[in-house]
Amino acid sequence: MRKFKFLRGLSLLAAGSLLLVACGSGASDTATEDTSGSTSESTTSEAGAGGEINVFLIPSPSSTSIQSFIPAFEAETGIKVNVSETPYGEAHQKQLLSYNQKAGAYDIAQFDNTFLAPFCQAEAMLALDDYIAGSAEYDINDFSAGQQDYGKCNGETLGLTLSTEPMIQWYRTDIYEELGLTPAKTWDEYYSNAKAVQDAGYGGQIMGFGPNVSWWWMTLVWSFGGELYDSDLNPAVNSAEAVAATEYLKSLIDVSPDGAITATGDDTTSKFLGEDIGAMLNYSGYYGMALDPEINKNAGKFATAPQPMGAVDTTHLAGWNIGIPADAPNPDAAWQFLEFVLGKSNSVAYLESGAAAIGRQSIINNTDLQVDNPYLPQLEIPASSRIERYPQLAVWPEMEVAIIDSVTQVMTGAASAQSALDELNEKLVPILAAEPR
Amino acid sequence: MTDVLERKEKKKRSAIGNARPIAHYSLAVWLILLATIVVPLLYGIYLSFQNYKLASVIPPSFVGFENYLHAFSASETWSTLQITVILMLLGMAVQIPLGVGLALILHQNLKGTRFFRSVLIMPMLLTPVAVGLIFRFMFDTDLGVINWAIQELGLPKVNWLGAQTTALIAIVIVESWQSIPFVMLLVLAALAGLSKSYFEAALIDGATRIQTFFKITLPLIAPTLFVIVMIKIMDFLKLFDTIFILTRGGPGNDSTTLGLWTYKTGFLFLEMSRASALGVIILVLTMPVYFLWRRASQQARS
Repeated sequence: MRKFKFLRGLSLLAAGSLLLVACGSGASDTATEDTSGSTSESTTSEAGAGGEINVFLIPSPSSTSIQSFIPAFEAETGIKVNVSETPYGEAHQKQLLSYNQKAGAYDIAQFDNTFLAPFCQAEAMLALDDYIAGSAEYDINDFSAGQQDYGKCNGETLGLTLSTEPMIQWYRTDIYEELGLTPAKTWDEYYSNAKAVQDAGYGGQIMGFGPNVSWWWMTLVWSFGGELYDSDLNPAVNSAEAVAATEYLKSLIDVSPDGAITATGDDTTSKFLGEDIGAMLNYSGYYGMALDPEINKNAGKFATAPQPMGAVDTTHLAGWNIGIPADAPNPDAAWQFLEFVLGKSNSVAYLESGAAAIGRQSIINNTDLQVDNPYLPQLEIPASSRIERYPQLAVWPEMEVAIIDSVTQVMTGAASAQSALDELNEKLVPILAAEPR
Repeated sequence: MTDVLERKEKKKRSAIGNARPIAHYSLAVWLILLATIVVPLLYGIYLSFQNYKLASVIPPSFVGFENYLHAFSASETWSTLQITVILMLLGMAVQIPLGVGLALILHQNLKGTRFFRSVLIMPMLLTPVAVGLIFRFMFDTDLGVINWAIQELGLPKVNWLGAQTTALIAIVIVESWQSIPFVMLLVLAALAGLSKSYFEAALIDGATRIQTFFKITLPLIAPTLFVIVMIKIMDFLKLFDTIFILTRGGPGNDSTTLGLWTYKTGFLFLEMSRASALGVIILVLTMPVYFLWRRASQQARS
């Protein structure tokens, strides 16, 4: 009998829990909503006198830095800041689900620039132009003209720049000095430098020929004068320029360490920092890894230079954005927080807290900051250089997988550049046709 | 007579009385199953007939079989299905003979059997994600221990995860390392259930070990092996974590299985309805295997 009572109690408890879960799912706030193991919350407490905001972050040096400003912001404004962090792999999907449901779960959200177009299509983010125009503290004019558009979609600013990460050249000063080399100014020089370094018994250069090969491929296609698609969204990946860029990329495998063929962006950086490799082409945002003494066995032995020049002067620019979701319950308080963290007053402290640099002129040209962050001058993108971002298309993720698949065929020798890109061009027709216009 | 009727009535009441609490007790379980399996399954099927995209403000609408037509006309569906089947066949070709072999050795009850049985089960206890990460480092072309051993033998380095054939072999190695203990345990249980009289009779008749294995042991454990094959087919159809960690489906899409392609379609391309259609296709592919597995399980038990 006792046993039956226990079982009945247990069943009621289970049914009750189920009911609670069912009832609670729609009404939960950010502080209690994220119960998956992959999501963490760093601040959860009662609302402050000035209200509260919920901030959605993606684990990164930038998100860590943002969180370091919360105590000071709360003390100054009385606004309570709740933070939830979700890993990159599921962050944007989770945000889109929330925005589709108009859940009003977040007041601020960090996102990768590659997701700007999907967010734009989903009308997920608030246009920040009025806030920006009225903020002397944010001071948009502190950014060069080209970089002011980094978070823009269809003419509206949906995200502030959270990091400025152009593709730049990294090189080992000790190896280059030993061999009498200087950083390459052209792609031909880049190859010949790598060859000379390899002939001296080192790894020539490294790029990621693995799952992120599209990063480097796009950089080269643009630099060689090619385009991924025309203004009518017709694919153009099999142009003579794109074929030449692909063949050049493949030629670099011969002067790269064996492991480069499967390397991701992170692997590429780890290998460059931990092994004896002459040069690397990679985003400046990886400089944070270079500051980690556990990874960087070559501290003090490398420097950075602009990306080598091709037929066209282009700069491949990447980096994080941060914005206010369209369904944010407290957008004004959210802007106050963004202005506090990313405004001009705290910009030095922001960089010094470990974040990837934001390309403000006042930061880039700060000679004191350049001592610890010698890559800062590379963030100064000349007006003559055409800034290329990840294609601002909702279908970009599908397009990128198709590109990676085809380019990999070339890199592994399974297909020639021309045939693989002809096939890719055909494959991209229906994908680009599905892009909402 | 009245006593008999009263006793029957009492027994009936008692049976009904016992059944009611049992129904009450299991209600929570049924509700949980309904909420976590039946509702998502039906919703997934419903979604597969819609055009729901995560990155769109346009409300989803009914599109009939459009997502299925897209799935069947896309070359990736067929190439990833082909890779799934290749991995399945390669995996079973490695796992079943090795699992049976190990089970036969352990069944001999030699010295140290208990120790080796414990050690051999250990890979099964590890999470596939952790195993994938460990093997990813082991397979690293420049720094991996596998290539180090290969080079120590005077052989050239292998670019394990950088070419389709070697990437598929690497996946099979990792998957087999984790799954062989499972096969071994099931076969060991089947061997333990066999009557010794068959083997004694074979011994008296002068059968060799090989003859005994092929003429007696194998036919007797065949129903168990069939169950194992069915389970492995279902396992490979839903294989995801090991590949995701080890190769991310690469190089290119060269080791992308249908399950991984479904994930990419849903969570990378944000095409939830197309992904749902692919999920339903996997479900349909799994169903016959499930029914065969059920029948085989019943046969094995009987």
